[in-house]
Amino acid sequence: MSNTDIVLEICGSAGEGTISSGEIFNRYISSIDFEIMSFDTYPSEIRGFGKCVAHSRFSTQKIFTPGKYTDILIALNDAHSISQLGHLKDTGVVIYDSKPPKYHEEDKSIVGWMEPGMISYGIPFNDLAQKAAGNSRGRNMVALGAVCALFGVDHEEFKNTIIQRYAKKKQIVIDNNVNSFVEGYNWANDNLTKIDSISFKKGKNKNEKESIIINGNQAVAKAAIDSELHLYAGYPITPATKIMEILSHELPKKNGIMLQTEDEISAIGNVLGAGFAGKRSMTATSGPGFALMTEFMGLSVMAQIPAVIVNSQRGGPSTGLPTKTEQSDFNAAVNGGTGDLPRFVIAPASVEECYDGTTLAFYLAEKYQTLVVILLDFFLSNSIRNIDEPTPPTEKMLNSNIAPNEKELKDYVRFKETKTGVSPRSIPGTPNGMYTTTGLENNERGKPQYDGKLHTKMSDMRYRKLNSALNDVPKPKWTGPKKDIDVGILSWGSSAGAAYEAATIANKNGHRVAVLSSLVVFPVNEVDLTKFCNESKQILIPELNYSGQYANFIASYINRPVERLNMVSGLPMASEDVLSKIDEMIAS
Amino acid sequence: MDNFKINYIDEMLDDVEKKDFLKYRTGELPTWCPGCGYFGITQSIVQSCNELNLKNEDICVASGIGCAGRFPVFMDVYGFHTLHGRSVPVASGMKLAREELTVFAIAGDGDIMGIGGGHLPHIARKNIDITLFLFDNSIYGLTKGQSSSTTPFEQTTNSHPFGNPDQPLKPVSLALSYGATFVARAFAGNVDQMTAIFKKGITHKGFSFIHILTPCVTFDKVNYTWKNLKANVEEIYDEFDHTNHTEAMRIAEKSRLYTGIFYHRYDVPSYQDYLKQK
Ligand SMILES: Cc1ncc(C[n+]2csc(CCOP(=O)(O)OP(=O)(O)O)c2C)c(N)n1
Ligand code: SF4
Ligand SMILES: [Mg+2]
Repeated sequence: MSNTDIVLEICGSAGEGTISSGEIFNRYISSIDFEIMSFDTYPSEIRGFGKCVAHSRFSTQKIFTPGKYTDILIALNDAHSISQLGHLKDTGVVIYDSKPPKYHEEDKSIVGWMEPGMISYGIPFNDLAQKAAGNSRGRNMVALGAVCALFGVDHEEFKNTIIQRYAKKKQIVIDNNVNSFVEGYNWANDNLTKIDSISFKKGKNKNEKESIIINGNQAVAKAAIDSELHLYAGYPITPATKIMEILSHELPKKNGIMLQTEDEISAIGNVLGAGFAGKRSMTATSGPGFALMTEFMGLSVMAQIPAVIVNSQRGGPSTGLPTKTEQSDFNAAVNGGTGDLPRFVIAPASVEECYDGTTLAFYLAEKYQTLVVILLDFFLSNSIRNIDEPTPPTEKMLNSNIAPNEKELKDYVRFKETKTGVSPRSIPGTPNGMYTTTGLENNERGKPQYDGKLHTKMSDMRYRKLNSALNDVPKPKWTGPKKDIDVGILSWGSSAGAAYEAATIANKNGHRVAVLSSLVVFPVNEVDLTKFCNESKQILIPELNYSGQYANFIASYINRPVERLNMVSGLPMASEDVLSKIDEMIAS
Repeated sequence: MDNFKINYIDEMLDDVEKKDFLKYRTGELPTWCPGCGYFGITQSIVQSCNELNLKNEDICVASGIGCAGRFPVFMDVYGFHTLHGRSVPVASGMKLAREELTVFAIAGDGDIMGIGGGHLPHIARKNIDITLFLFDNSIYGLTKGQSSSTTPFEQTTNSHPFGNPDQPLKPVSLALSYGATFVARAFAGNVDQMTAIFKKGITHKGFSFIHILTPCVTFDKVNYTWKNLKANVEEIYDEFDHTNHTEAMRIAEKSRLYTGIFYHRYDVPSYQDYLKQK
């Protein structure tokens, strides 16, 4: 079977069913065993008719990025879709409304903007929807019907997906959608002559594992529930809000609580309170809210109380670019706060890792009695994948607090020095386990004390925890050649996907390119890092920020020059971007 | 004379033992200035816990930063000395995590009328079942005598040597307008009344706000001195209907410093009780 790798975009105005038709398309495509990676763009201003794009890449191969160039563009709205032509392939296909509800002024019709070589199919979306349902709401379904007819998709099965999607709605809604779909399918079959060569009947062979369609935020929420989260406290902010909304449904089912707080300071304060009381708790935010949490981040570390914060990065600084993706909070996550403040920073590279990173975060926070920051970004939060049902946390991961034993409770010393830096922590309700913790430097019994010797010892304890945890976290992932590497890519977070794909292509072209990326970006596993760098002739660090935050950080560990690829276009990194940088490096 | 002293001390020690005062205290001696009103408040909190038969391990205290914030350091309970102004959200998290625990938030006037003032309306309207003890000495004690949000207009302080240009906030009126379901005021010099109020507040199912007038003997020589407070406080009369919000508001606005329970509302479910009904 030949490989299929296609990018399809649906573009329309808010309210035209753009995103929901993308969702239905994904569901169907996933059900016939394609790998999908999808990404929706919403209008950033709350104007009635803003532009929406449902972007979907599907493939018979493993994919890591949403793909930069489009094969098929469905224009529900010409005015919005014209700018999407900029990344339509030279031989790409446009499916548009040949008789839109309002006639286009000259220059506003998408066909007028297409390059020679591109293929267009005009379909009277509006007329057909009117015919099927008496209104124009089903235009998106007409378009999907035409897609099935044009590209050889099983329209009966596709119809079932539509029915499932609207199963909870009234029968009339289901009927209108299905009828519009069938109308579009039949019309396209009867009237169109296919002149492109795209078709997608069936994906790869059936996977044994159950697969689910999920985005990064959903994966975090699912992992939190599976990790026995008790309290979510948060304040709405794009792109993290969805985590809160999902948990407001899911937590009550588990006797948990979703608390909408007055601000992010209160959110993280509640998280620490619940952590102190022995329950798992978390908050999720983005740049501005993360900044407000800084003081409490220090308290978590100093008072040795678990806390999990998700920061889904937007473009920054300040309120920045709320609906654009960027990786510019690395510094804030790793160094944010005052004083010497060791903490864990987890940066998932994929939707799968959003799940695994979150279960790991709860485990680490509780076991090491400290702060864990999970760095997502706008793209990862919203990028949709079909993944295998993830592996839930083990018993050991669910109960990771080290409690004092009976002997220790006879004369309980809360912050007793240990080899690992972790002192047994008693939970309220435990007789004889009472103690007071504080953000002031304190002695083994929690009493505030400021002498230099003690501060040195306690600082050492706090950092020692991180070192002892290095054996407790997954090792960095090394893909590609292990030796004689032409370009070694040190990658982090969501841009790792582009690095993998670029490396794969470069290696096919006869180069030796490897990628090292780590779910846990702080503390650093120096052994693996050093080994990787020693094997690499040149090192490349691609990231979505202007100043090269990760590159600057890594420089302090590896003591040699690195090549940087920095982008702040607001878009996720594409494999093409990394590949051209690799080529440039190898050529020089 | 000497004999009298010894007898007096013996009697006091006897009293201390009988009342189990030391049960909730660590060996840590409070670092507060001699004569500070906080000693009396601590004694009343301890006495309330004792009379309510609370187990040490079932008490959680979150405090802010300031002289008041030091409170849990001297207590043998589960204590969390948090950040300036943030005792309320931390206490809230404790209660939401473990409803069976008794949770106190301790705050100075700087903590909850100043830097953390934004938390008060919300803990009140959420009616989360914690008790907030506001140690109001109308001054920043720990940082040595700057104006606070309850310092009177025109009073000279270390931050306003030419007089405080700001009008003071009225904690009880605010708590009442925010919808707190238990609002009381106590005076650090009246341990018996304080204890009675504290016990009511602690057992109230919902958010309890207790405004405590207390002198900072070191940095406030003019406003909340022992002498001024004694002369200005007055217990709310017995027949007062503390389910009447309008009346509560009316006496809260008086310049006379009424002490006692201003308002006690029983018909609003606590946050967690509400969730259970759903
Ligand atoms: C964020 C922050 N700002 C400032 C301070 C310094 N500070 C510590 S206590 C305090 C004021 C304390 O006054 P109050 O809350 O009334 O408590 P009191 O000492 O009077 O009991 C200040 C300003 C701090 N600890 N944290
Ligand atoms: S400075 Fe004032 S509030 Fe602080 S302990 Fe001394 S008297 Fe009490
Ligand atoms: Mg004060």
